[in-house]
Amino acid sequence: MNDIIIAGIGGQGNILLSRVVCQLFMNRGFDVKSAENIGMSQRGGSVVSYIRVGDDVGPIVPDGKADILIGLEMSEAARNVNKVNKDSVIVLNNRFVRPKNSDLKKQQILKFFEENFSKLNVINAHDIAFELNMPKAENITMLALICKEGILPFSKEEILRALEQVLTPKMYEMNKILVEKIYERY
Amino acid sequence: MKKVLMGNEAVAYSLFINGVNVAVGYPGTPSTEVIETLKNFQDDDFYVEWSTNEKVALEIAAGASLSGARSVATMKQVGLNVAADPLLSLSVVGVEGGLIVFVADDPGPHSSQTEQDTRNFARFCNLPVFDPSSPKEAFELIKPAFEISEKYKLPVLFRMTTRVCHSNQSIEFEFKREKRKIKGFEKKPDWVILPALSYIKHMELEQKLQDMKKELSAYNKVEGRGKIGIVTGGVSYFYVKEAIKGFEDLFSILKITVAHPLDEGFILEFAKDKEMLIFIEELDPVLEEEVKLILFENGRIISTYGKRNGYVPFAGELDVDKVKYIFYKVLSDKRFLAKNTFTDVLQIPKRQAQFCAGCPHRSSFLIVKNATKDKDIIFTGDIGCYTLGFAKPITTTDTCLCMGASITMAQGLNIADSSKRVIAFIGDSTFFHSGITGLVNSYYNRHNITICILDNLTTGMTGFQPHPGTGKKIYGEEGRKVSIESIVKGIGVERILLIDPYSDFTENVDKVREFLNDEELGVIVFRRECANLKSRESYFKINKNCSKCRACLKVTGCPAIDEDENGNIFIDSTLCNGCGLCKNFCRYSAIEKVMVK
Repeated sequence: MNDIIIAGIGGQGNILLSRVVCQLFMNRGFDVKSAENIGMSQRGGSVVSYIRVGDDVGPIVPDGKADILIGLEMSEAARNVNKVNKDSVIVLNNRFVRPKNSDLKKQQILKFFEENFSKLNVINAHDIAFELNMPKAENITMLALICKEGILPFSKEEILRALEQVLTPKMYEMNKILVEKIYERY
Repeated sequence: MKKVLMGNEAVAYSLFINGVNVAVGYPGTPSTEVIETLKNFQDDDFYVEWSTNEKVALEIAAGASLSGARSVATMKQVGLNVAADPLLSLSVVGVEGGLIVFVADDPGPHSSQTEQDTRNFARFCNLPVFDPSSPKEAFELIKPAFEISEKYKLPVLFRMTTRVCHSNQSIEFEFKREKRKIKGFEKKPDWVILPALSYIKHMELEQKLQDMKKELSAYNKVEGRGKIGIVTGGVSYFYVKEAIKGFEDLFSILKITVAHPLDEGFILEFAKDKEMLIFIEELDPVLEEEVKLILFENGRIISTYGKRNGYVPFAGELDVDKVKYIFYKVLSDKRFLAKNTFTDVLQIPKRQAQFCAGCPHRSSFLIVKNATKDKDIIFTGDIGCYTLGFAKPITTTDTCLCMGASITMAQGLNIADSSKRVIAFIGDSTFFHSGITGLVNSYYNRHNITICILDNLTTGMTGFQPHPGTGKKIYGEEGRKVSIESIVKGIGVERILLIDPYSDFTENVDKVREFLNDEELGVIVFRRECANLKSRESYFKINKNCSKCRACLKVTGCPAIDEDENGNIFIDSTLCNGCGLCKNFCRYSAIEKVMVK
């Protein structure tokens, strides 16, 4: 079984990413279940999605059980470490949005992950999405890079198919170009 | 086809497939997506709308049902309180076409004022209640819910919780709608509820509940043969299944899908050879109390563990780890204790929800705050995005109770202590939902308060649903636009001020201050479209004039403004919506506009 956590803040496209990942697994013939905390997604709050491959389970990933933690924002990834274990794969977007009224530092969070996890991947999705002129597409940028690196076992064609199934035609065209560019350049 | 559907979407698909004719609701997290999904479907015998409130919605559904139409009214748990009046009467009057009352409960709570349990409403109203555990099960239960409703001529409650409403699951189904013939309204004395008839119908209702028990019991199921019995329902069923993984032999599970009415025979049969019963359910101890009553009435003494004796928490939602901990406490078996993987976990402070960057409400609140500086004023708030008016640094909301209560509580506060001025804030959608009657009361009884209607031309908090003030109907087609000012004037209120919160800030502050000098009842309408509905034309950036005084940050609390590790102030160019509010608080001309190409 595969349990995946996606942690981020409102506005990063967390829920859409979760939908696409679900679709990817479903297209491979798996049953999937997922859950998300929505409601604060427009208002800068924390947003977490749980994805569970398999049918006979509840929607929430138990503590320590997640195989992969995808952090669209670093401090939100750190907030959810109780869901992973030392062998879990951690994927961090190199993006830090300081929780207001805190003196947290980006380096502090990076150090924590480096010290605790051997399977740590830091990905520059924020910068790359900006370079490719799609600053609001950090989520799909993350996904393409994660799959390209082999962290999730999906091909470019599979990503495009899932995007086509989940997105509106207009959104799909934009994201298709994005994914193509990521596979060419990065 | 096979699709990944959210619980609420699954309900919508199933309602449509099973021939629902009329679907009405008022938005409220976590129920909103049922109507949002249904609006994507069209048929010549299908109608869907956003109603002005839950009572209106349920009464429309009831009317449609009396004509033989299959109908559904959707709402969240607090919305059911608004619709309680028609629901209780409807349980006595009865229905014709299948009527489902879809209610989303919110253990946690994640986005609600209360953790109330709609299963208790079912007991209160003497109605059957379905309580699915997953999106797939929700999909499958809509059909029997309609059938039970039609067979017993009663509305059926269909209750889900956040983790079922907002979880997604792959579901295989054929997307084919069952067409039904609507027979039309038949005049009968039954449809006019008078006390004498109510007495007769109450007896019928009690009989119906007895009659349906066995049939409904077929939706409950028993798993396993262990001596420790677990009684559970809703999403908790899956938490239980995962928590006992590896120890299945010890337990047997009674999964209750219809929480009311319960069939005594089925419960007694399950309890027969059990050493103990553990009740795993969220919100109220509904299963626990009902089952215990059945056991007691049948002279069955057995150890039970649940909320009533402190083993299961009353507040908050459950998860696998909490359920395991309950088993550890009941059984003193350390194998159920979770091991902590990390000891030195970074403490990440909670992210406080804020008005979005560019939200016009931020400006409206700051205008009122500045206009009332040095005055002792109570600010009453209401339900919606603008409840965030309480958050730092805006802090211009002192109370929040329920939909519409800002206007009416303001009157009470003013009566109790007339030396205090009270200003009420209410949103546009909430004003139509339940603010108007409060305004009428205030005018009629001469309660001299000031009411600020924050009109962002949408229902912002739940995802931008239209309402009477927008004039657009659910598919975006033209309805009739209701003017807030005309309502206010029509009631008789003469003092009305219209403000655009994006226009000159200082001028707006002066206007509001002047308006407040007169202590008669007055209404200020702040009108500006929600920032999320408009594509932005510009954003702002900090230039080299910045003195790092942090005024922009401190006054507005805008999420687009922050300081970096060196104390330099910056505006996040991807977040800023270009409202320019921050510019009003910069004395160094350090904030400049950038046009989007």
